[in-house]
Amino acid sequence: MRAFDPIRVLDRSRIVAPPGFNRWLVPPAALAVHLCIGQVYATSVYKTALVEHFGVGQTQIGVVFSLAIVMLGLSAAVCGTWVDRNGPRKAMAASALAWITGFCVGALGIATGQLWLLYLGYGVIGGIGLGIGYISPVSTLIKWFPDRPGLATGMAIMGFGGGALIASPLSTRLLSLYDPAYDSSVTGSVPAGSAVALLFLTFAVVHALLMTYGAATIRVPADGWKPEGFDPATLKSKPMVTTASVSARNAIRTPQFWLLWVVLFCNVTAGIGILEQAAPMIQDFFRDASGVSTVSAAAAGGFVGLLSMANMAGRFVWSSTSDVIGRRPIYLVYLGVGLVTYLLLALFGQIGTALFVLLAVVILSFYGGGFATIPAYLRDLFGTFQVGAIHGRLLTAWSAAGIAGPLIVNGFLDAQGEPGSLTSAAYRPALLTMVALLAVGLVANLLVRPVAEKFHESAVLRDQTATNQGSRR
Amino acid sequence: MRARVAAGWTLVGIPLAYGVVETLVRASKLFTG
Repeated sequence: MRAFDPIRVLDRSRIVAPPGFNRWLVPPAALAVHLCIGQVYATSVYKTALVEHFGVGQTQIGVVFSLAIVMLGLSAAVCGTWVDRNGPRKAMAASALAWITGFCVGALGIATGQLWLLYLGYGVIGGIGLGIGYISPVSTLIKWFPDRPGLATGMAIMGFGGGALIASPLSTRLLSLYDPAYDSSVTGSVPAGSAVALLFLTFAVVHALLMTYGAATIRVPADGWKPEGFDPATLKSKPMVTTASVSARNAIRTPQFWLLWVVLFCNVTAGIGILEQAAPMIQDFFRDASGVSTVSAAAAGGFVGLLSMANMAGRFVWSSTSDVIGRRPIYLVYLGVGLVTYLLLALFGQIGTALFVLLAVVILSFYGGGFATIPAYLRDLFGTFQVGAIHGRLLTAWSAAGIAGPLIVNGFLDAQGEPGSLTSAAYRPALLTMVALLAVGLVANLLVRPVAEKFHESAVLRDQTATNQGSRR
Repeated sequence: MRARVAAGWTLVGIPLAYGVVETLVRASKLFTG
């Protein structure tokens, strides 16, 4: 009888799907991981509690979230090749281990009043879990759904947006449970730090269960598997879709990789431009003659909720649409229509709340769509060979945008006054800068062409063989 | 296999539906509050 080896159970060779495996079991496994790590976008719920608990400023606590996002990009870039080589189960297990350890170390930091432990736990260790978890199911989904890669990655990456929708209200309820003195409906009520520590431990347990389900369920297709009725020859007929393979090492030497880096950077920065200031922005845009906003704080909170929905829905809807109209055309929509929408928002957004909300919803849906469609765009250009590793490297654009977006918006707004007391005109320079950024992204997308044959693995091997033979002579 | 697929989607669908409903309730305040 073969001894049970807990490490080998995670190996890629142990998770090859048997005949008859239903590929629709893979998206829920991917979603289980993304729904958990999407919690990172719900940190604002307990931000004030941590500020009061540690007796520090908003910036010092904000660093925890920024660290996590920077580590997401870095770990995805550094670990991408490891993820592709070792398969999704080992990657999901590693992600779960880091993410849960991050919560536990973070909870210890809160309980003992040591902020550096929160930085190390949630920011660094948890951030590594975020990066590995984010890319872990992507290449597997693309291989299971060669006929609809946009739909497949859209489903998983929608989960990342959905994670925030779940964690935000759930955190509020749990904080009320752990600190009975806390009432979220009362302005100025702040939960105790001990309640946040307990919240972290609760997330550690619940996420451990969900992510374990994901790791246990995920399977990779057997070599040569294809969905019933799918003809790979249909891919060859599309000029922007390759059937060749490009390694991650070669991909970053191509102009296409860096053009897509610029595309993602511009699209994400533009989205963050609105997300960063959503609640004060809608209040500032609509003020009466006496300077009082006609939009209440509750309505502004509702606006933030609506943007979250648009962000999540855009991931699924637009990414799925890209399977029909193609990847480059859909980015023309994200960046071209996004540019026009942004311009309308900057120049005419103050005309009415309905118009303002409509334009912002469209922009945020394109922001989500840009995230969800990029893995399928990479698959089209570089093939499935190391698409996970290439995707990981491209996510550094997200980290850079996470720094640049708030810097641009806050830089312009700081020069105008305090958000919450501004008018629509004060936002115009920041919004027009985003329009210019989207124009740069649009040009970058227009310049994308199929990857030159010299970067294909077959050509690289041919060159290496010729070099070796030459050196023997 | 179909039961496993249904169970998998239920496992992730319930929390997702909870999040969507809670967010829609919150978003409705944009039009009512």
